[in-house]
Amino acid sequence: MQILKVENLSKSFDGTEVVTNVSFEITKGEVVAVIGPSGSGKSTLLRCLNLLERIDQGTVVVAGDTMVETSSNGQVRYASEEKLRKIRLHLGMVFQNFNLFPHFSVLQNITEAPLRVAGLSIAEARVIALGLLDKIGLHDKADAYPYQLSGGQSQRVAIARAMAMNPDILFFDEPTSALDPELTGEVLKVIRNLASEHMTMMVVTHEMSFARDVADRIIFMDKGQIIEEGAPHQIFSSPTNERTKTFLKNFYNNSGF
Amino acid sequence: MFAIGNGTDFFRLLSLLFNGALTSLQIFFLTLLFSLPLGLLIALGRMSPQKWINGPLKLFILIMRGTPLILQLIFVYFAPFYMLPESMRFSLPRFTAAIIAFSLNYAAYYAEIYRGGIESIPRGQYEAAAVLGFTKAQTFFRIILPQVIKRILPPISNEVITLVKDSALVQVLGISELFRVAKNESSRIFSTTPLFVAGLFYLFMNWMVTKIFETAEKKLSYYQ
Repeated sequence: MQILKVENLSKSFDGTEVVTNVSFEITKGEVVAVIGPSGSGKSTLLRCLNLLERIDQGTVVVAGDTMVETSSNGQVRYASEEKLRKIRLHLGMVFQNFNLFPHFSVLQNITEAPLRVAGLSIAEARVIALGLLDKIGLHDKADAYPYQLSGGQSQRVAIARAMAMNPDILFFDEPTSALDPELTGEVLKVIRNLASEHMTMMVVTHEMSFARDVADRIIFMDKGQIIEEGAPHQIFSSPTNERTKTFLKNFYNNSGF
Repeated sequence: MFAIGNGTDFFRLLSLLFNGALTSLQIFFLTLLFSLPLGLLIALGRMSPQKWINGPLKLFILIMRGTPLILQLIFVYFAPFYMLPESMRFSLPRFTAAIIAFSLNYAAYYAEIYRGGIESIPRGQYEAAAVLGFTKAQTFFRIILPQVIKRILPPISNEVITLVKDSALVQVLGISELFRVAKNESSRIFSTTPLFVAGLFYLFMNWMVTKIFETAEKKLSYYQ
């Protein structure tokens, strides 16, 4: 089943095109890693897909609902605010800088949206939150506040917070880029576990070995365009495009992997 | 200098000043009651991208912060009578005029404090709330405002302390608040003692204000 369909998506900032004519699809249960050099438009693409940025051209369909479409005369039309709010419930997002709510405890961070947006009861939201905290190994931190957590713990809570809304697809915007190398492992492990449970995910990342091991498909972006797309073994062992080759060669040289 | 006569006289002075202080406290509490919410509305309007909303509010803030409060008191009291055409003339009660002038003036200061606080909240907080599906109102009242309040408590406490002392300005409209009572009594008994005792009253009130804000800050120190 198709969860996300993107057609000819373009986005400019002040006349500079950051994402150019991008098209791809994601099916249910798929893990897609988006890689590419800094400034290649990966994060902007992600932000367009979860409505943090408005696109200039293209069509985005989420779980069968049209979020935005472009008519033949180039007119971009978003769905009504009410419908966008509904579509948003299909989408989860994990930020590079966690963006936890500092005035809420870990438990409140996770229960707030289920309570106020999904309309669950306190008891229901608590059960979900505690279950998720178990899963990310932070049961004992339920009553802690974000400032008491390490970066890795914060990001795991942020993942639990997104998962509590039971999204159809979870977006990650460089989830380990703000972390010390020794803390990235614990976050990647949580994402790996989600992958093994067939959570649909789109991960913008600089962690090449993670992308290679966990993703079902790799999208390589450069200068706002999708340059190459394919299974990890194909992209990593026999990339067809010159730019992909150069990018991966730099990476191999630096990491020795 | 401390010629205060006998104990009866001193008791009389205290009760006079106490009555004056009650009027000062009324001005203090009513001004807070109106100016704190009004300041928030002004701050939100001031941050609006619409020029026709933020422009007039910028001018309002400039005037309220840029002219003496004592002049604003006089203006609010006299303008409805002297500046309107004859058929529309009216006079506000002194006390009402004082509360209006104080509320508008303090709202302007609070608005800028709120604005500073709101603008200091990282954009990521809004984005995290948006992707979780919170409405704009939920985002503001549940996520942003609580964090703003923690950040603005110190500058707000400054203004509140100033308000206690500024309440003395309403005497320009002939309202018998603490300072005016003390001054009159001072002239009558030809001694500065009433003024010094009034000073102790102000100090006591602001000691209470300081304690209240300390408690509030402590309460909000459970997170960073």
